[in-house]
Amino acid sequence: MGQNLFIQNALSPPILFFFLGAIAYALKSDFEIPAPLPKLFSLYLLLAIGFRGGIELQKSGFGYPVLPTVIAAIFMSLLIPLICFLVLRLKFDVFNAAAISAAYGSISAVTFITAESFLESQNIPFDGFMVAALALMESPAIIIGLLLVKFGASKDRPIKRKMKWGSILHESMLNGSVYLLLGSLLIGFLTSAIDPSDIKKMEPFTGELFYGAECFFLLDMGIVAAQRLARLNKTGAFLVMFSIFMPIVNAILGSVVARFLNLDPGNALLFVVLCASASYLAVPTAMRMTVPEARPSYYISTTLGLTFPFNIIIGIPVYMGLVNTMIPSIG
Amino acid sequence: MKRLDLIFSERELDDVLSALEEAEVPGYTVMKHATGRGPERIVTEDMEFTGFGSNAHVIIFCEQEIIDKIRENIKTVLNYYGGVAYVSEATPL
Repeated sequence: MGQNLFIQNALSPPILFFFLGAIAYALKSDFEIPAPLPKLFSLYLLLAIGFRGGIELQKSGFGYPVLPTVIAAIFMSLLIPLICFLVLRLKFDVFNAAAISAAYGSISAVTFITAESFLESQNIPFDGFMVAALALMESPAIIIGLLLVKFGASKDRPIKRKMKWGSILHESMLNGSVYLLLGSLLIGFLTSAIDPSDIKKMEPFTGELFYGAECFFLLDMGIVAAQRLARLNKTGAFLVMFSIFMPIVNAILGSVVARFLNLDPGNALLFVVLCASASYLAVPTAMRMTVPEARPSYYISTTLGLTFPFNIIIGIPVYMGLVNTMIPSIG
Repeated sequence: MKRLDLIFSERELDDVLSALEEAEVPGYTVMKHATGRGPERIVTEDMEFTGFGSNAHVIIFCEQEIIDKIRENIKTVLNYYGGVAYVSEATPL
């Protein structure tokens, strides 16, 4: 892994726009993006990666390496929150430890998209079926987080806060981002199977606009991340350390699994990034609904203020180096 | 005549409005995108894309009997998810 990889990543348009947003906040510029736009762009990104992933999934089928990779991804989203929970229980109660663990067991779609852009800039091929892994890693971590609360603190909860499993499963599997991602994946899959000419009609929207939309979304993420970073003083040093070191530990675990799966370097990086990233879309809303005892400032500030910027600026090149080490054929 | 002010996360708006409808309130006003600071966090529109967005402010003018009818349902929602509810006297012009 050369220094060049860091510099190339840091100077790529998405990351530069991220810095532009963060600097605007730091310099107290009056620059702002009206609230509905980032929501629209986040929905657009999920739709586009889901649709493109569905097309690729149709091409690759469900044999090797698709099925083992997806199963491994689900396994990791069950394992990582358990490891995080053991670490977090050293300092936090069950509610906060479970909620933060769920966030770190789940994934960040924007980190994944940034990793895809990084691979494209390095001319490293990857497969669209990794989007299926992305979509399927959101929900298991939420369920594990809630099981940890159920078994770890059921005596401490009043009756009215007992788990309603129907609504929990509904929230974890049908929350907006997971629903749109899975739905777009299915539509891409069906479109590719039934009438591939429709893919061309979608291409200007799901393909050519994508990179610009990603940059625009990261511009907003820069502002939000800088705001969250400024409020991190309430979370304490332990959680700050956790939000940097835990993604690295998860990345190492992910790279071991990627090697075991014999993934190509591009897919291996995406798998590692999925393991290392933390959710700020599906999990915080699900946790707020179902574990209101946990402090949102803990799991929002760390995932958005530290882990997300760390992963996209420093993490991705580091993880690429890790993949190159673990899969020496391309190193 | 009473005035009831409810401030809570926009995500729970449907639950709260259902509780109001059940109590047959004569009407209500909903103001979305309310921002500010709660005991736990700054409430801004910046987190809208996460689904962790801003608050809603609902105002109801009604008689005391209606307030009594909605009290328990609203308290259940607000106790679980967070939010505030205050009743005050209102004098029509």
